[in-house]
Amino acid sequence: MIEESVFIEFNRQMGNDIWLMGFRSEALASLAKPGQFLMIRIQGNSQDPLIRRPFSIHGIGEGNIILILYQTVGRFTSLLSLTRNHDQISVIGPLGKGFRLPGSKQGAVLVAGGMGLAPMYFLAQALPPDARRNAKLFIGFSTFQGAGLIDLIKGLGLQVSLATEDGSMGFTGTVTDLFEQAIDRDAPEEPVIYACGPHAMLKKIAQKAGRLNLTCYVSLESYMACGLGICLGCAIRAARNQDTEYYYVCKDGPVFSAEIIDWEAL
Amino acid sequence: MAITPDLSVDIGGLRIKNPVIAASGTFGYGTELSPFYDPSLLGAIVVKGLSLQPMPGNPPPRTVETPCGLLNSIGLANIGINAFIKEKLPLLADTAAPVIVNIYGNSVGEYSELAGRIEGVDGISAIEVNISCPNVEKGGMVFGTDPETASKVTDGVVKRTTKPVIVKLTPNVADIAVIAKAVESAGAGALSVTNTFLGMSVDIASRRPVLTNVVGGLSGPAIKPMALYLTYRAVEAVKIPVIGLGGIMNHQDAIEFLLVGARAIQVGTANFINPRAALEIVHGLRNFCERENLSDINHLIGSLIKE
Ligand SMILES: Cc1cc2nc3c(=O)[nH]c(=O)nc-3n(C[C@H](O)[C@H](O)[C@H](O)COP(=O)(O)OP(=O)(O)OC[C@H]3O[C@@H](n4cnc5c(N)ncnc54)[C@H](O)[C@@H]3O)c2cc1C
Ligand SMILES: Cc1cc2nc3c(=O)[nH]c(=O)nc-3n(C[C@H](O)[C@H](O)[C@H](O)COP(=O)(O)O)c2cc1C
Ligand code: FES
Repeated sequence: MIEESVFIEFNRQMGNDIWLMGFRSEALASLAKPGQFLMIRIQGNSQDPLIRRPFSIHGIGEGNIILILYQTVGRFTSLLSLTRNHDQISVIGPLGKGFRLPGSKQGAVLVAGGMGLAPMYFLAQALPPDARRNAKLFIGFSTFQGAGLIDLIKGLGLQVSLATEDGSMGFTGTVTDLFEQAIDRDAPEEPVIYACGPHAMLKKIAQKAGRLNLTCYVSLESYMACGLGICLGCAIRAARNQDTEYYYVCKDGPVFSAEIIDWEAL
Repeated sequence: MAITPDLSVDIGGLRIKNPVIAASGTFGYGTELSPFYDPSLLGAIVVKGLSLQPMPGNPPPRTVETPCGLLNSIGLANIGINAFIKEKLPLLADTAAPVIVNIYGNSVGEYSELAGRIEGVDGISAIEVNISCPNVEKGGMVFGTDPETASKVTDGVVKRTTKPVIVKLTPNVADIAVIAKAVESAGAGALSVTNTFLGMSVDIASRRPVLTNVVGGLSGPAIKPMALYLTYRAVEAVKIPVIGLGGIMNHQDAIEFLLVGARAIQVGTANFINPRAALEIVHGLRNFCERENLSDINHLIGSLIKE
């Protein structure tokens, strides 16, 4: 784990409120694993926003470029979208436990709700070429955000299916509906499900996976004050049969095996 | 010629090599920030508040940012004193900075029992008593808001230990001087001023409090002027050393607290924002003393000019 001040190489608008940012870091490029995240702060003396914010590592580009895909939802992310080339940010990472990659006989099924796309590109990058070609990605947005957003991950050769809730592109409905239909129709031999997105969506995916007895990993979110396992703020309820009442998303996660989470409490 | 300033200070019987201490709850069990620097370089480390039994903490969300501040309702989650002594303390064996154990109980008796467990344990240099939590036996009234209860807790701890006892006060009182004096008379060796200020945040879309616990404790730069004032007021009220804290982000903030008379300072929320903050404050204090030609940081402490 390192703390580094880095210069932004690019910060591009990819959709209505979605941005892709890149910065160079040899250290992070060599340390990071899919599913891990960074705690980011915009450099300067301003104390508002104060606390670092967590962002998944979206992927690693050529020349050790670390990619961050983010949505402007509030003060920090709005300010982040205003940063330009050569502005400085401070990053701490890589943090947390990432995805466990599928075994050689298993088929990866990736399910992303909105910004849940963020960790999926890195996961797809890490799959061996064969597994990648056979991997399926289901991605859902409330409305179509432009082709640029999914072209990047399509370029890795996955089978990508898109859902929009308003029907502006692809399947009309939620990504959960799309996933449930597809997994019933033609699931790969031994599917492993990787899901990231809003907690209500993850709950449905986890329940479906549970009914079908499939291995399912979810990447969860919570408010984080430190990201380092210190503040004990990022608690999430563990399933009743676990030997702890809470897991801490920054240390024990953000990726969890779906069956160890108490989905009723989320 | 440049002098090498002496940064060491005495906090109620504990001599520390510089006045910068990591605050409870913001430095884990002492080793979490080791990837960033050697905690031995700090004056001392206060570990997360410990209770007799392990505590799971409050239902989430437990933290939210407010302007220039952090609101938390962690609910004093911790692994319990026994697990700390058995599993975490040995990891600190090579750390040259004194380890201060922060304790809290649900009753006066629990505080003294905690002190008893710590007595005789090597590697613990002092006890910091958190009296900002509810007294279960007294209908949940916070120990630190009543001078009589605060002194009972202090007395109970002091009688069970030979280690220096620091009592950490709550700011959520009408007059901190009253509590400070009560705790001093009960035998405290030093005071920490201050713990977090009670606060709230509401999500207007859902019309619900953001924190499940409704109320949280505010820390960070937002509380600095108030914490500085309370430190000043406590310094005037007692003769024992006062450790100042609340919103200290850099060495300039630290110097403000030293000038009003704090013998040492603690760094809390700043550790989350800049994991090297406490170490940078040590360097900043040293540089400041050199620039000001101060051979001893004690010459700075309490040197506020008021006229
Ligand atoms: C491990 C992890 C990885 C993440 N990865 C990404 C990513 O790759 N891309 C991305 O766009 N976002 C990601 N997030 C979410 C991101 O951290 C929040 O969107 C961001 O902190 C919001 O900050 P803000 O100041 O813009 O919004 P705020 O003003 O703080 O909040 C705006 C709204 O967002 C909600 N919110 C704030 N923080 C969080 C949070 N941590 N989790 C859920 N909701 C929150 C608030 O309830 C509020 O309604 C991740 C979160 C976690 C925990
Ligand atoms: C996440 C968090 C956890 C804390 N836990 C404790 C604790 O266990 N015991 C305690 O006495 N104080 C605790 N505190 C209070 C701090 O030690 C400190 O008094 C307070 O945050 C003010 O200082 P600051 O503004 O520098 O953070 C905690 C503070 C935070 C932010
Ligand atoms: S964010 Fe602080 S412990 Fe997880």
